[in-house]
Amino acid sequence: MDLERQVSWTESVPPELVATHIGGRGVNAALLWKLLKRGTDPLGPDNPLIFGTGLLSGTAAPSSGRTTVTCLSPATGWYLKTSGGGHWGVELKYAGYGHLVVHGRSPHPVYLWIEDDRVEFRPAQDLWGLDVRATDRAVKDDLGDEDIQVACIGPAGENLVKFAAVMFSVYNAAGRGGAGAVMGAKRLKAVAVKGGGFVGVAQPARFAEVIDRCRESLRRDTGFDGLSRYGTSGSLAVVNELRALASYNFRRGHVEDVSNLTGQHLSAAGYLRRRVACASCIIGCHRYAGVRSGPFAGTESGGPEYESFVALGSGCGLFDTEAILKANELCNIYGLDTISCGGVIQWAMECVERGVLRPGDLDGVDLTWGNGTAVVEMVGRIARREGLGDILAEGVRRAAERVGGDSYKWAVQAKGLEQSRVDTRSAKAYALAFAVNPRGPDHLMTETFAEFGASPEARALMTRLTGDEAKIDPLCPERRGAVVRWHEDCYAVTDGLGFCAFTTTALYGITPELMAEAYSAATGRETTAEELLRAGRRVVTLEKCINVREGATRADDVLPYRMMNEPLADWGTADVRNSQAELDAMLDEYYDLHGWDRETSWPRRGTLEALGLSDVASELAALGRVPG
Amino acid sequence: MDRVLTFEPSLCTGCRQCEMACSFAHEGVYWPAASRLRLVRFEELCASYPVACAYCDDAPCEEVCPTGAMGRDPSTGYARVLESRCIRCRECVAACPLGAVDLHPKTGHPTRCDLCGGDPACVKVCLAGAIRYEPGPRAAARKRRARVSVRSALEGVPDAEGA
Repeated sequence: MDLERQVSWTESVPPELVATHIGGRGVNAALLWKLLKRGTDPLGPDNPLIFGTGLLSGTAAPSSGRTTVTCLSPATGWYLKTSGGGHWGVELKYAGYGHLVVHGRSPHPVYLWIEDDRVEFRPAQDLWGLDVRATDRAVKDDLGDEDIQVACIGPAGENLVKFAAVMFSVYNAAGRGGAGAVMGAKRLKAVAVKGGGFVGVAQPARFAEVIDRCRESLRRDTGFDGLSRYGTSGSLAVVNELRALASYNFRRGHVEDVSNLTGQHLSAAGYLRRRVACASCIIGCHRYAGVRSGPFAGTESGGPEYESFVALGSGCGLFDTEAILKANELCNIYGLDTISCGGVIQWAMECVERGVLRPGDLDGVDLTWGNGTAVVEMVGRIARREGLGDILAEGVRRAAERVGGDSYKWAVQAKGLEQSRVDTRSAKAYALAFAVNPRGPDHLMTETFAEFGASPEARALMTRLTGDEAKIDPLCPERRGAVVRWHEDCYAVTDGLGFCAFTTTALYGITPELMAEAYSAATGRETTAEELLRAGRRVVTLEKCINVREGATRADDVLPYRMMNEPLADWGTADVRNSQAELDAMLDEYYDLHGWDRETSWPRRGTLEALGLSDVASELAALGRVPG
Repeated sequence: MDRVLTFEPSLCTGCRQCEMACSFAHEGVYWPAASRLRLVRFEELCASYPVACAYCDDAPCEEVCPTGAMGRDPSTGYARVLESRCIRCRECVAACPLGAVDLHPKTGHPTRCDLCGGDPACVKVCLAGAIRYEPGPRAAARKRRARVSVRSALEGVPDAEGA
């Protein structure tokens, strides 16, 4: 799509790209490498916004319907892939498309309507300003059809909030990194899709047999029932017991009573209306929850997820379930990433406590820890960019620059992205994964939950990766490079096929071997787990190269100040932190394993050539960024 | 024909595995638009409601069919569409009170649940338990038991909120 000229055209994804980059995230990354000019303004017309469905999306492969959105991030200025669930991606697949590339900027608000071969640019002036739920409704009314899928932005995306989300199927966010602001800058309010077509596979009988095994394997995983019954927040109390629960803006790793923030509580106290699943998902970890009485009566929304409970709840010292449900609903309908939104609010609360923000800066909002009304109020002010909300809408890095003082020390971000709600000080593989993550300190590029050894499957995997059962210890910094790299490879394959990471790196039911069999049966091109993981590594390396082209070096592979400099509370006398020495040792191991230069972190020429990325090597060499 | 599809919409997670499995069983591809069972979705409420042929007595779709294309296999009782007789008049679609008869997106002939000849594909993939294949009365019994709590039974007071 070119929004500038309001024209659309189709191109075929070359089969060799499916062989080398799989689909979804991998093909998106290859497209971005090709389309993105160095030094592009993330909010300018030249930042391509790329939607990609998984290679298996649209099939009945369990939990394979996730969609990847790729662009340059306005929060970080670096590479961004952000992904979401829901049903939009499979609908695009049934309409006959695997990827959607949006170029340019529309002169006026517009939305796209894709119905099989028909593509329409429709005026969206009347939709501009509507929240996500109202936008979904208005689009369906405008088109006179209820059975369509909508991806859209809310007011936060329109107002270029740096952590605005792209929302799918109303409540499923591609939240991290501000892709919603990129969509807003393009004046693209929504993409509505309806597909009447089918998705076929090369070897139907074999494919059906393989996905039966995927389904059985998933069901047998010891984590299946809990995730299905209680959702992502079902594990929240466990993380609290592991003393890794990011509370009070990461000053605490443990709180006395976290029960109000759990999936178990949502069920027992009657907030849970129903379990919800993304396309083809047999787990159904998503929630739909609401509040019937009290000051937040009438609240109803998808979620809250684990991350939202921690970001908007314990991170803000807030343990009032109903206020969190309200804040979560507002994030969803304004189209905000709950992680970053909670992150900026708790940073502001700490600024107030430490006197860096004064009462006169707050426009009458009482930002003391645990004030639910204030958290709810700030969500709207951020989305509308009112008062302090306008500063917070820029994310904690820029907000700290603006507010000054020592506030950067508790701005829990790196690369400009607010850290997701895992405390890396007490989880060393997470620490390494977050530091090297091209989009910033976040769990949805590489989820190393296995290091906690919380299930037999996780323990088996950790033993295999580290060669030593004694290294199943989140505080152990050794062999974390190997742990991170396997998870990177596996996650890239997962995203490429459209699977949810919960099926491959949180539960482990869908193994690389099963993914390879599914890929082979779907495409008719035989592959092995090893070859598929190698394709994953190719994608991870290409993503790294996109950042290298933009100027990234080893100095960018860092963790937030607080992680590096302040010990985690609730660990008694133990000095639990991510010291530079500890991180450096892990980085050295990681770069060595990858074949990346230790000094610069840049991939070596031989590494790139061995992965079939010679053209990438040539372009980086011209910039002097390929070490020998 | 001693069993029917029964639905428990409150358990439906909306994953669409049923539509995928149905279309795969009948078409060999994943094609929800050609599925004999369809979900009615209410996106903003995250709610879904499965709809398929209920095997009515004196089925209106069969009665209105002017050519005898809509019918059942005389020996098994499962629904059958004789496409060679079908003139695509769409009377069956108009007559079905449930919206369970649709038109095939490619051929234009009616599509109607045939219970996969007695082994419905949709049921096998519905882990949520929202679609079952069972004698009709069993669904009613299950519903009664789910609605009445032990306490209400002991005290003789109906419990509106359920067990």
